[in-house]
Amino acid sequence: MTRVDVRGEVCPRPALIVRQRLSELEAGDELLVRGDYPPAERNLSRMCRKRGFAVEKTDGGTAGDDFELLVEVTEGAEIPEA
Amino acid sequence: MPDRAADDGVRLTEHADLHGCSCKVGQGDLDALLREAGLTEDRDELLFGVGEDAAARRLTDDLALVSTVDFFTPIVDDPYDFGRVAACNAASDAFATGATENLDCLVVLGLPGELTDSAAPILAGVADALDEMGGVVAGGHTITSPWPFAGGAVSATAAPEDLLTARGAAPGHRLYLTKPLGTQSAMGALRVRDDEFQGVVAEAADRPVDRVGEEALAWMTTPNRAAAVACRGTATAATDVTGFGLAGQARVLADRSGVGIEVTRLPVIEGTESLSALFGYGLEDGEGSETSGGLLLSVPGPRAAGLESRFDDAGVFYREIGRVTDGEGVTLRDPELEPVSR
Repeated sequence: MTRVDVRGEVCPRPALIVRQRLSELEAGDELLVRGDYPPAERNLSRMCRKRGFAVEKTDGGTAGDDFELLVEVTEGAEIPEA
Repeated sequence: MPDRAADDGVRLTEHADLHGCSCKVGQGDLDALLREAGLTEDRDELLFGVGEDAAARRLTDDLALVSTVDFFTPIVDDPYDFGRVAACNAASDAFATGATENLDCLVVLGLPGELTDSAAPILAGVADALDEMGGVVAGGHTITSPWPFAGGAVSATAAPEDLLTARGAAPGHRLYLTKPLGTQSAMGALRVRDDEFQGVVAEAADRPVDRVGEEALAWMTTPNRAAAVACRGTATAATDVTGFGLAGQARVLADRSGVGIEVTRLPVIEGTESLSALFGYGLEDGEGSETSGGLLLSVPGPRAAGLESRFDDAGVFYREIGRVTDGEGVTLRDPELEPVSR
């Protein structure tokens, strides 16, 4: 599983960083995203779901504003170009 | 705009993590807070108050005083422009209730120590915007604050019968919006300045990002006063589009009027629809946060042509974006995204 830490990043940068990491993945891969900017959780989930990725909030990252999202590259996901 | 700010070496948006109306406390949290504080009941002393864009008190049979307060963190880097946007945004709450006369603004300003030099241009921006709206700066209050913020406590007057709230929408009415959406995406794109991502953003916008930003600034500094004057006597409900986004503000209208709202069209600043898709801001669902947005108006069908004619005469942008139903909540009916450029 690939991990990316966007803590300390303010929108729209988390979405751009995650998009870049997704471009390196293939169907079946998973990306674990850790962030701490409250609006980023919703924006990242929306950005990924709109492109057909499966997004699940994990139990991790419960400290403060921290959140953790597991993004799965589904067969139909529209993988961004690098 | 960005270039001028860069020359001065001051980038206001870097001093706050949330920008413009995005810093607004969420709708659900705000409702819970009001319930907890016991502030949900209507007050006999007021024509309307909590839950509306502004409060109104009847002073005489033919005069009502409307008051409101609004302030937020920087949405643009240039202090003067920030002042203009903040003033337009604060006055917009009064205009949304139909109050356009005797406009006074008490400026609310907070700045960290290192941005003290920005105070004068911010105030100049507020004063110039008020002047353009036929209002005056009547005073204010300034504090030291870790995050910069600016805005104002605004008062204005209207004849009581001209006042509008979010409670007057009825099934069959048409919905009008008086500014295109997309300020959040436009301003977000301007904040991406590093080599790593600037190319991705520029490619997504499909037009110069600075141009998208300039248009967003032009809309954010367009006062809603002309729209408020033009819709007098035709619209029966109004609110202005803010941090809750179009969908959120339409939900307020639907809930307070006890109706449903169908959105079929979304005018957006050209380029912001693809930027929003890149950033995950939800503009295509009406969920993007807006700063100093347009008026959202509910208008009985037979009066719609008259309203459009008055908007045309006054040079006010408008689009019919949906209709009011006898359902509940907000429904997006595969809305057509219409790119708008100035």
